[in-house]
Amino acid sequence: MADKTIDLTNCDREPIHIPGLIQPHGVLLVLQDFHLEIMQVSNNTRKIIGYQPEELLGKQLSYLLDAKQIQKIQQCLTEDFESINPLDLSLKHSNKSMYFDGIVHRLDSVIILELEPKKAKQKTDFVDFYHQVKGTITRIQKAPTLLEMCQIVVKEVRHITGFERVMVYRFDQEGAGCVIAEDTDQEIPYLDLHYPPSDIPKQARHLYILNWLRLIPDVNYQPVALIPPNHPLTNQPLDLSLSVLRSVSPIHLEYMRNMGVTASMSISLMQNQQLWGLIACHHSSPKYIPYNIRTTCEFIGQVMSVELANKEASEDIDYKMQLKSLQTQFVEALSQTKYFLDGMVQLKSQLLNLVKATGVVIYSSNQCIQIGETPSEAEVHALLNWIKPQLDQGVFETPSLSKNYPDGASFSAIASGVLALEISRVHHNYIIWFRPEVIQTVNWGGNPHKPVEVLSDGSFQMSPRKSFELWQETVRGYALPWKLCEITAVTELRSLIVGIVLRQADELASMNFELQRSNEELDSFAYIASHDLKEPLRGIHNYANFLMEDYAEILNQDGIAKLQTLVRLTQRMEDLINSLLHFSRLGRAEIMRQTVNLQDLLQQVINTFSITRPQSEIEFRIPQTLPKIECDRAQVNELFTNLISNAIKYNDKAQKWVEIGYIQQEPPNTPLTALPIFYVRDNGIGILEKHLDKIFQIFRRLHGRDEFGGGTGAGLTIARKIVERHGGRIWVESTPTQGSTFYFTLAPEAIA
Amino acid sequence: MNLTSTSPIPKIPLLLIVEDSNEDFEALHRLLQRSPMKISIQRCVNGEQALAFLYRTGNYRDREISLMPGLIVLDLNLPGTDGREVLRQIKQDDHLKIVPVVVFTTSNNPKDIEDCYRYGVNSYIVKPINFEQLKRDIQTLIRYWFEVTKLPEHLEY
Repeated sequence: MADKTIDLTNCDREPIHIPGLIQPHGVLLVLQDFHLEIMQVSNNTRKIIGYQPEELLGKQLSYLLDAKQIQKIQQCLTEDFESINPLDLSLKHSNKSMYFDGIVHRLDSVIILELEPKKAKQKTDFVDFYHQVKGTITRIQKAPTLLEMCQIVVKEVRHITGFERVMVYRFDQEGAGCVIAEDTDQEIPYLDLHYPPSDIPKQARHLYILNWLRLIPDVNYQPVALIPPNHPLTNQPLDLSLSVLRSVSPIHLEYMRNMGVTASMSISLMQNQQLWGLIACHHSSPKYIPYNIRTTCEFIGQVMSVELANKEASEDIDYKMQLKSLQTQFVEALSQTKYFLDGMVQLKSQLLNLVKATGVVIYSSNQCIQIGETPSEAEVHALLNWIKPQLDQGVFETPSLSKNYPDGASFSAIASGVLALEISRVHHNYIIWFRPEVIQTVNWGGNPHKPVEVLSDGSFQMSPRKSFELWQETVRGYALPWKLCEITAVTELRSLIVGIVLRQADELASMNFELQRSNEELDSFAYIASHDLKEPLRGIHNYANFLMEDYAEILNQDGIAKLQTLVRLTQRMEDLINSLLHFSRLGRAEIMRQTVNLQDLLQQVINTFSITRPQSEIEFRIPQTLPKIECDRAQVNELFTNLISNAIKYNDKAQKWVEIGYIQQEPPNTPLTALPIFYVRDNGIGILEKHLDKIFQIFRRLHGRDEFGGGTGAGLTIARKIVERHGGRIWVESTPTQGSTFYFTLAPEAIA
Repeated sequence: MNLTSTSPIPKIPLLLIVEDSNEDFEALHRLLQRSPMKISIQRCVNGEQALAFLYRTGNYRDREISLMPGLIVLDLNLPGTDGREVLRQIKQDDHLKIVPVVVFTTSNNPKDIEDCYRYGVNSYIVKPINFEQLKRDIQTLIRYWFEVTKLPEHLEY
């Protein structure tokens, strides 16, 4: 297969704007500005206007034309709209009047006047022109779609010009062309044929942008040289970019002959100063189109160029409306969610529909969430790293990833089309959509891979393609291209998401600030309140004791008992205050995660029990060795202590036992390890079903405060708080009179 | 029979108690009275007063006693200049810093405990509610600081 840089080389380098030659269907005069002295002429003046070139060189233009006509030319150069190209000019020679279309343009300090013979003295006037194009323009503007407009244009142009074949030829981003509309009386249609970018080399494109209409009446013409070949003052070849008679490249002529085309005309279609496409006209025999008809065609081309933007905007109007409404729903739903990522995940189907994708990956910080058909996480990760430097204004899109990213070939079936959107580089937020490969058939007007011939001397020679049989190439690794409106939709989406994310971040920040402040207030409040509450409490306690000490003789049993109750109540009050303080502190303390051997920790807890309650006979059952986990040692110690202490306390059996163990869950389908569920089981008094929801509430007790060894009623509340601070859950199963089992986990569960 | 006749007559140590609560002071005073040691007690009810006493300013300008207290028992939550500030000033003063300070407070806030030790407190005791416990704590405090511990001699201004 030819290298792309080679197939364009000699063709791209050909200086087609300075051939020094013109086509023979008119004459070209080069005039020095101001004096209108003839400096150069084409070598066919004898044939067309009856004067030898040598006779004209150095003469004033008045030698050929009368003053009135010269005035017209000068007015035309000052862009006086009463006299615009073409000018009606006539010359007398040997008592014979000849009529011409005069086309004049200025180039630096010279004026180029081209004369094309006319049959008779027709006056081109604007009204005729207007009537001719009025209907066409109305039809162009009313066409509902781009393709219908193109169809109208080819019909009209063919009707006006009489060419056998008129086509609209559209360029894609890479410069390849495709026939999207055609009107012809020929047998073989060219509709849908594709042409590689090399068919129209770079500098030809440039000329198409400068000069919007080109005519070749006869491909077999003999080019006519200029005399002298270079401009006498500058000794430079004349720039014929804007000349209507400019001779074309022999390669182009050969190309036309290969196609069986004898006469051709093409009109540039422009959008945003770019060459969007061409109106191309072909004829199998020589065909001359007078200048005024060409002007009409050029005007149609201009109207069509203006309409292109409108038609493209209204193209897929329904789809765009649908996109808009999807976008709106999406953003509304997203703004309701607390976190960007959660919101995105909840809206997976909308996220896919938004750009008709079959897979999407959402990156947030270091999380990667895959929805639908996507490459593996590792593949996406590598892809994103490759994409990042190529983001253009935060967007990257390709219909054929593997073309520029060889590693993409392995997953081209599901991800040939890639559209990536950067939401935040700082937070590493990206969305990448994927589209599957679509096997498509492209009809090439000839084999696009063989435009280059290797000559016998080893050099490359660009030669026009010879075979125009339908040559089909199956293009692999392509997805349906991303439409501009889809790319626009995601770009808009980004700014909306950024808005939401920023707003959420702001809210979060201010909430955090508020929370921190209220926490600090609560914290100091808790301590101060406890201090202020405890002080009078201590006073009551101490004074009750003073009474008992100082007035022991006076007080009877009943008085002593009442004072003792008073003392006991103050003690209880202090316990409650301490529990509350401890609980409030627990919610605020930082979790200090470290690797903890739970088996050792449990042994310590049990040993402490045997020391503090040597009188109670309890059997501790530990069916399997507890694992090592990451947790806050002190807090988990307290958790086990509370649960085991309850198991011992609320037990009226003669043979008390407590079983501590864990259940290893079946691993979910995530790379995360499954969480062990720990449990503390007893054969105690159990809990009535109706009370199960109350047991974790602070200070809620199910029994009298002096039954079962009392307690403040904060133990399970603290247990739950510890579990929650670790991201886990705690729950209970119980059969009254049989016993209870408390289950808990000590880490957040994976998002399934 | 006193074998250490050559030694000077032991001075009665002065105990400075900074405590705003009358009931708490009452309890403290009651239990100190029971101590076999003769201890003279000076009470201040807030931080300003305590600092004025220590620096012999204001009402204490003409204080006779030229000795510094042998021990300061300090509550933290005081009206006005609180105990933390009093502690900080004492321990930053080259002269006063040698006087042992025992914080005796309701606060069991870990931050308070840590801060006080950072300022250089010699001991931190949380006031118990339980009367028996309070008795034990006061006894231990007196015995430790006035019998077990050797304090610097002649703490003079």
